[in-house]
Amino acid sequence: MSSDVTDPLTAEIQGPTPREMLKARARGHKGLIFGMGIVGLLVLVAILAPVLAPHDPYAQSLMKRMAPPVFLGGTWEHPLGTDHLGRDYLSRLIYGARVSLLIGAVAALISGVIGTAMGVAAGYFGGKVDAVVTFLINVRLAMPVVLVALAVVAILGGSLTVVICVLGLLLWDRFAVVMRASTLQVSRRDYVAAAQVIGASTPRILLTEIMPNIFNNLIVVITLEMAHAILLEAALSFLGLGVQPPTPSWGLMVSEGKNMMLFEPWLVLIPGAVLFLLVLAINLMGDGLRDVTAPEGRS
Amino acid sequence: MKTFLFKTTAIAALAASTAMPALADKASGTLNVAFTKELENVDSYFNSSREGVVLQRAIWDGLIYRDPETNEYIGNLATSWEWIDDTTLELKLREGVTFHNGEAFNADDVVFTVNYVAKEENGVKTQRNVNWMKSAEKVDDYTVRILLKDKFPAAIEFLSGPVSMYPNEYYAEAGPSGMGLKPVGTGPYKVTEVVPGQHFVLEANESYHDSPKGQPEIAKIDIRTIPDVNTQMAELFSGSLDLIWQVPSDQAEKLATMDQFTVANESTMRVGYLQMDSAGRSGEDNPFTKLKVRQAINHAINRQELVDALLKGKSKVVYTPCFPSQFGCIQDVTEYEYDPEKAKALLAEAGYPDGFTIEFYAYRDRQYAEAIASYLNAVGIQTDFKMLQYSALRELNMNGEVPISFQTWGSYSINDASAMVSQFFKHGALDSTRDDEVLEWLNVADSSTNPDERIEYYTKAIQKITQEAYWAPMFTYNTNYVFTGEVDYTPTPDEVLRFVDMSWK
Repeated sequence: MSSDVTDPLTAEIQGPTPREMLKARARGHKGLIFGMGIVGLLVLVAILAPVLAPHDPYAQSLMKRMAPPVFLGGTWEHPLGTDHLGRDYLSRLIYGARVSLLIGAVAALISGVIGTAMGVAAGYFGGKVDAVVTFLINVRLAMPVVLVALAVVAILGGSLTVVICVLGLLLWDRFAVVMRASTLQVSRRDYVAAAQVIGASTPRILLTEIMPNIFNNLIVVITLEMAHAILLEAALSFLGLGVQPPTPSWGLMVSEGKNMMLFEPWLVLIPGAVLFLLVLAINLMGDGLRDVTAPEGRS
Repeated sequence: MKTFLFKTTAIAALAASTAMPALADKASGTLNVAFTKELENVDSYFNSSREGVVLQRAIWDGLIYRDPETNEYIGNLATSWEWIDDTTLELKLREGVTFHNGEAFNADDVVFTVNYVAKEENGVKTQRNVNWMKSAEKVDDYTVRILLKDKFPAAIEFLSGPVSMYPNEYYAEAGPSGMGLKPVGTGPYKVTEVVPGQHFVLEANESYHDSPKGQPEIAKIDIRTIPDVNTQMAELFSGSLDLIWQVPSDQAEKLATMDQFTVANESTMRVGYLQMDSAGRSGEDNPFTKLKVRQAINHAINRQELVDALLKGKSKVVYTPCFPSQFGCIQDVTEYEYDPEKAKALLAEAGYPDGFTIEFYAYRDRQYAEAIASYLNAVGIQTDFKMLQYSALRELNMNGEVPISFQTWGSYSINDASAMVSQFFKHGALDSTRDDEVLEWLNVADSSTNPDERIEYYTKAIQKITQEAYWAPMFTYNTNYVFTGEVDYTPTPDEVLRFVDMSWK
């Protein structure tokens, strides 16, 4: 008798688990693999910068300025040439990865914490909390990010810390919007009602019932905002208001090379290309994660 | 071979694309020029920028003119002059000169202009240019006397430079802001349009008097403000600009290889230096109040490398707080050779074995500023790099909030040390040193009419300034003028673009 009942059950269990299915989908997603590969590589480069960089990124040598990269007839001493002050371009590019990734990650983290807290609170409690949060989101959306960032940086002066804080405090809107919508959906599910009925505390419900079920969306937004923050830092640095020299930053490198753009285009093209690659990779990774984890992606 | 082919085709393509519009320009008689910096006010007494000097020389005239080739003083609005005593200069004025608005030029204009600008409350931007004059009085319609506050040997030089004559009736009514928007002078060019921050249109003054400046040949000049050098060059290639100047040496070198452009390099009187807050205005504990720190800064900078690799052209290394050709700018001073180890040792002796972090300000030539900051970084001084507009930095500097900054001074092309040393070391708002002894010596040097005594006191002042390392003078500037083959122009070494000397080939 019992074997009749257990047979179909065990048959089901013997099939792929959700986690295995997730892994299989991830392996089949080319964009995700490419994106993660590139991001992983750049993270590795950033961490190992002191080992990988062939020269000191701050060592100036005016006599060797603007040496061309190897593929334009330069030497292997400076594979990507030197900049307008004779600093090794490859080393600056490698150290610049640190700045970009650090700003992207920390800014996304700060805004993620702010936005998620607001969004989840609004979605779960509703009513007045929701009204206040929605109002704050609207206020935030009414402010153009670049303009506010420019103004704040102009007043406080540009530095790594200021740029990270400004971006972190400005980019939470998408987190709040997405988290609020996801929480609204999830909080009406039966398991949340069940948890409420058995008398679980609110923090417990939020942490163990709601958060795990909206985590997928959170990861996607984090990647998008990370790319956004990296681009904004580059834009601010390009305008001379972001990271200050001599700190290597890709945006700053583009800005420093721009005067020679007509004659030495590679000064702008190299950091521009790397910036493009990083942002593309992060976006592909985000898209891939959405495809792989989002319910509508599960065919 | 491949690159050679590529380059020649590129140049041929550029040449082909520029030929058409450039021709049209010569035909229309309009010379298109670019300014890099925005001009605060066209009124020459109310700006302190090079662009302002260029316009001043085109729109207005001084009483006297200094020939930039021979350095000889020739009468312009005045025909002759004579010292009545040490502080009274009598000038005979030229008759039959009219301002662009038709007002006749006579003694009243000179009296009004001098009395207006010499009055400190009227707020002329660079007081040094005018504050040696007390007042002016009319003797008859074409004779005036200028009364000096004190003996001032450089008077003729200043009268042939920054002191230009304004129409009394018009200026009384329009004031500096009106004059800035609708300038009226006696000069070879009259202004037909001013759009602040965008462009100025000048037209030749058909009835220009028989001035030593010569007669204007180019009928119309359109000056546009284009801050970005790449945009300027792109417009030069496309033919919508005919002349650009202050072109960075890197770009000028490349442009010089192209046939259709003339690149002329000339030295200028501009000196680049680091100003340090030795008076402690930005804070009592400011490291620059210590002599050893200032010496360390001086030793940390590789001036020769800056000149060879960045400035190039006719630039030279300087150790004096003035331009070497200026009268009184003696060169027998303390020179600080490049020695980063010594700099580090001096910092350690001064109590900064690990260096310190300081705000480093600059307003122009970001590339030079970065290179200089990098030399400081190399000896352990961390720089918080701040790039500001000139007016903003000047304001901060006047309030004593700038610990160290990369500054430049072009002396208004006045060939006398007083135009630079006395501008910055006589306890004015921009003096970051406030040395009483230097002030005393400069007072003697500025007012003495005995050249030997002047030299003696300038020597004392300049030697003390360099011994105490109040500044770190670094290099003189040069400027590159790039113009199309159709423009005929020979630049002068004083960094003044003279439209009146230009013509079409």
